Amino acid sequence: MIATIVHTDELLQTILASVVAGLGVTFAFSVAIWGAGQFAELSRGERPLAATAAALVGVLGIACVAGALIIGILVMTHK
Amino acid sequence: MDSEIILIIVIATALAFDFTNGFHDTANVVATSISTGAARPQVAIGFASLLNFVGAFISISVAATVAKDVVDAEVITPTIVFAGLIGAIAWNLITWYFGLPSSSSHALIGGVVGSAVAAVGFDAVIAEGLVGKVLIPAVVAPILAFLVAGIAIGISYRVVGKQRPGIVTRGYRYGQILSGGLLALAHGTNDAQKTMGIITLALIANGTLGAEADPPFWVIASSATAIALGTYSGGWRIIKTTGTRIIKMDAAQGFSAQGAGAAVILASTHFGFPLSTTHVINGGVMGSGAAKRLSAVRWGVAGNIFVAWLLTLPAAAAIGGLTYGFTAIFGTGALGPILVTLMALSLVAAAFARRAERGAPVTAAGG
Repeated sequence: MIATIVHTDELLQTILASVVAGLGVTFAFSVAIWGAGQFAELSRGERPLAATAAALVGVLGIACVAGALIIGILVMTHK
Repeated sequence: MDSEIILIIVIATALAFDFTNGFHDTANVVATSISTGAARPQVAIGFASLLNFVGAFISISVAATVAKDVVDAEVITPTIVFAGLIGAIAWNLITWYFGLPSSSSHALIGGVVGSAVAAVGFDAVIAEGLVGKVLIPAVVAPILAFLVAGIAIGISYRVVGKQRPGIVTRGYRYGQILSGGLLALAHGTNDAQKTMGIITLALIANGTLGAEADPPFWVIASSATAIALGTYSGGWRIIKTTGTRIIKMDAAQGFSAQGAGAAVILASTHFGFPLSTTHVINGGVMGSGAAKRLSAVRWGVAGNIFVAWLLTLPAAAAIGGLTYGFTAIFGTGALGPILVTLMALSLVAAAFARRAERGAPVTAAGG
């Protein structure tokens, strides 16, 4: 009875989706900024290999953010 | 003929409510981006209006909840919907006049529930929908946004902590274009759908639509347009007062607050929970502030939101019920709603004139 009124399943899914999306996108975007920062610093220090690796990590972070956005919009529009 | 007149009044009133919702909420949607320097006010407001419009088209789950899960559409009449809308508008006007916090969303649902109870009795209310889809999410969502934003800012500082401040600030400012856009999209999709739901409920009550019908396209498009125009109009007012209402925060905090708010609103919208978007956005802002320094948070705002939770639903319900009682004196025709509309317009004009003389109050919460 209480579970029916509270919509427990939908509420838990909302909480889970909010936590995963909110924290996941923030983490991925922060990694992208870290990658950009490291790339700039390592490039100045003339360490091209390490700078490239940092840039790749940054690009991966941006790709994760873009992926999360696309998945989010697809889920919203296909209910 | 009378029912058509009432329906037209209801639709016009609902769209006016939607416009004022956008007008009132502009500050909440764009404040964080403007405050951190991520976007110029003109750009942020134009972008927010556009995404409010787009957001209204991506889901109809909340509209379905408002139209079918809060009150029994089969016993509702357009006059009941009208009285509910007046209850919501009147409460928003009263709180705006006295500078008290309010929630447009809670007022709308409270008004309709109150007028339905006055007209039909408690049998008209779907308790399961009201408690499970409105009241509980109303409490959970701002707390969730607070926690997600608080943890998110902790993650941000941990990941970028040793980077040069310049690149970090620039990075998060760019990120805020994304998170601010998502927040505007989320605001448009949740808030515009409440108006869609109310108009759909009136159309079902009038017999224009079947009991299980979804909002027609013209309802979606007009609700989207009304909230977008409201956001754009409200924005120019906000530009003039920028700096007095905006909370100071860094770009990472702004990104976390907006991201958390957008995630909570979009996830809730997907499951059809009509939220007070302002409460969620404020929850996110307070969460990102509290994680950095407890004293940085305007705890008075939290107190105001709590008061708004307690007061808005019953107060709007009481006004909605009284409005229905007043219209019923004049029978079931259009005379009652027409008289109430004329009285409401006169009161709104008088309130605006008096408020303009005294200066606008600063309120803490809106939609």
